[in-house]
Amino acid sequence: MAYAYLFKYIIIGDTGVGKSCLLLQFTDKRFQPVHDLTIGVEFGARMITIDGKQIKLQIWDTAGQEAFRSITRSYYRGAAGALLVYDITRRDTFNHLTTWLEDARQHSNSNMVIMLIGNKSDLESRREVKKEEGEAFAREHGLVFMETSAKTAANVEEAFINTAKEIYEKIQEGVFDINNEANGIKIGPQHSTAGGASGAGGAGAGGAAGGGCC
Amino acid sequence: MPTSDSEDFESADEGHASPEKKERKKRLSSSNYSDNALETEQKPSNTKIKSENVQKVVEKVKDADGWDDFDIDDGETITPEPAAKSNTPEKTKTKPENVPSIAKDSKKSQDTGWDDFDDWGTEDVSADVQKVDPPKPQPVQSKPITRQPEPNIQEVTDRLAAASTGGSSGWGWGWSVDSLLSSATAGLSSATAGISNITSQVSQGLSTVLETGIGAPDPEELARRTSKDQEARVTKPDNAQKPTAAGDKLTVVGDEQTWPNTGPNDGANAGANAGDAFQFGSLFSGVTKFVETTGTKVIHGGLDTLETIGKKTMEVLQDGDPGLAKKRALLGLGAGDKPVLSQVLREAKAKAEEDDRVREEKREAKEVHYENLFDDFEGLVHLEALEMLSKQVSMRIEERIRSVDADKRQDIKETLQQVAELCEMPEEDEDDEESPSEDLSKSDAFLERLQTATQDLGLKLQFQPLVKQYKEILDYISTVDSETPIKTLYKRGVSTLAQSTALSVEQYHKAAEMLLVKSRRSTADEADALTQMTVVLTKHISELATLFTEKLNALPSDNKEQVNTYITNLFLEAGNSSTYIQNAFQLALPILQIGAV
Repeated sequence: MAYAYLFKYIIIGDTGVGKSCLLLQFTDKRFQPVHDLTIGVEFGARMITIDGKQIKLQIWDTAGQEAFRSITRSYYRGAAGALLVYDITRRDTFNHLTTWLEDARQHSNSNMVIMLIGNKSDLESRREVKKEEGEAFAREHGLVFMETSAKTAANVEEAFINTAKEIYEKIQEGVFDINNEANGIKIGPQHSTAGGASGAGGAGAGGAAGGGCC
Repeated sequence: MPTSDSEDFESADEGHASPEKKERKKRLSSSNYSDNALETEQKPSNTKIKSENVQKVVEKVKDADGWDDFDIDDGETITPEPAAKSNTPEKTKTKPENVPSIAKDSKKSQDTGWDDFDDWGTEDVSADVQKVDPPKPQPVQSKPITRQPEPNIQEVTDRLAAASTGGSSGWGWGWSVDSLLSSATAGLSSATAGISNITSQVSQGLSTVLETGIGAPDPEELARRTSKDQEARVTKPDNAQKPTAAGDKLTVVGDEQTWPNTGPNDGANAGANAGDAFQFGSLFSGVTKFVETTGTKVIHGGLDTLETIGKKTMEVLQDGDPGLAKKRALLGLGAGDKPVLSQVLREAKAKAEEDDRVREEKREAKEVHYENLFDDFEGLVHLEALEMLSKQVSMRIEERIRSVDADKRQDIKETLQQVAELCEMPEEDEDDEESPSEDLSKSDAFLERLQTATQDLGLKLQFQPLVKQYKEILDYISTVDSETPIKTLYKRGVSTLAQSTALSVEQYHKAAEMLLVKSRRSTADEADALTQMTVVLTKHISELATLFTEKLNALPSDNKEQVNTYITNLFLEAGNSSTYIQNAFQLALPILQIGAV
């Protein structure tokens, strides 16, 4: 699979908020109501297109259990984007956001794009956290906010793709140094080849012009 | 107005495409070249004198270029009406250095020029005359060029001229021609208004006109130049008879136009000429209605004008830039722009073909590229994650060593060393003592071996993916027959190795994660179990490789060399796989060690 860029994402949040379900919905477009507890970290990958460029999203779906906290922390490094997920039907998952955010900010690079996600938006009747609360939290901490449903797939694509767009913009703005893999961005083989070819082409043209002059 | 005019122009151009006329055009341009050459030699220093000289030169050149023919034509078509005009040209010739005479000449030429203009208006009356006239401006145009002695310029102007006449050949200059054409036509249509001005300008001398008229010269100017040319031609030394012919023509034109002044008065008298011109001006309003029918005339005139403009432009461009080296560089026009263009196109095509080929090869290569497959099966990312854990744990171990007393430090180091030794791969001398129980399928036996090996690890590792994949491979291999292309088999082999390796690496990653959260550690057992697991997994890899290579060997193939290459590659990748697995094992070592300290 050829890609221009590879973005590393991490999904973090309390256990049972639906991190693995979000990933499965995004990568496989399916929903699995019963999911094994994630051990350490699991991976998913999907190709998306932004600005005509193929971008491979490599998603690290971390275990939400407290026991794995020390392990998952070591995976934050080198992530370009993070999905911080809480469950709108469980207030405690929302209350823990600050801890998660501190963890993420502490163990990742400062430019990491963080998307706050209130999952299980399909369970409106059991809602404990108002959308406005999520919005306010996001605003306060400079995050992007979205309510999703891994079950109905509502906003799932958007959550992943909008994060990628933010990262892409940061690349364009030069905020991310794409050559530093600690930023969670890798240049695809295709990309580097194209660059080399165009460079060679430019040199060739220069040579031809030189010949013309002489 | 300009728009419609230019349209007329175009259509006229089309009508103009007869071979004869083309030829004339060519001659025209060729005459330009020689004009330039001669002019360059002359190098007149004085601007005023220059115009004289140029005229002279032009005259000479014209003789050489066959302008005589035109004159003769004129003579034939037109009833000879010998006038004093024939004298005028001679004057020019005899007193070339005399400035006053130039003035006269110019006035005369102005006179004749108006005749020409009339001709344009006269529909079909004196077709030949009309045709002859337009080319004439050329020599006059060349005047400005006279100032530029550099031979390079000649080249440039030549190219310019070629471009304007050649049509298709001058792609680089086409735009200017178009724009100039339209402006020229625009000028034509509004000609009447400016006539009086023009006449006065004419008396000032052609050089001034040209100097001021860098842009599109008005048709009046054109006409003036044309007349001068005529005169110049007339004055040419070799045509003894020709002067008369030219003179005839001029007068005849005048007659036809029913402009009484032209013919009779146009003697050697400069004052009289001026007067004629003014009268023309008054009459000129009648000409406008003919503008639409100018046809070939206009084309000739337009092209000539263009050349004039082009030359003048080149001149201006060349100020302080001899040979136009800088400007050409700026425009990206190399010495041979056309060859370069085609060459560029050819190169681009070749490059595109090459790119396609390379892309195809790459795609092909990628299909069986082990590293890519390993990445696609998430082997790399598991390895990466494992490495992150490993590094972090190593740091923790070092921290711990630093934090303890010196005597304890040695103990810790010894323990670490012991664990590392436990994890050394056993020699591959042990025979397969475990009797492969006949009642178990190969894949089940594989699972059993894995479970036995990791019995003491104290973790519940998920071997199902590995076992499932093994089953699939065994099923696939059993379907392979002589119809299976060797390449397909080879690809599947590489893919299998990559996938098995990825799944194996994942086991180390998972084991490491689980060990780290395990509450009660028994490092020795864990180390032993992981070592056993490594043995089982590497054996599994080589077994898979053997499975595929044997099948490859068994397949009938007329390309044994290819088969051998495939087999070699498979064993190579199998070695690669074992390396990955053992690396993963080594990365897990700190995780084992930290349980002991």
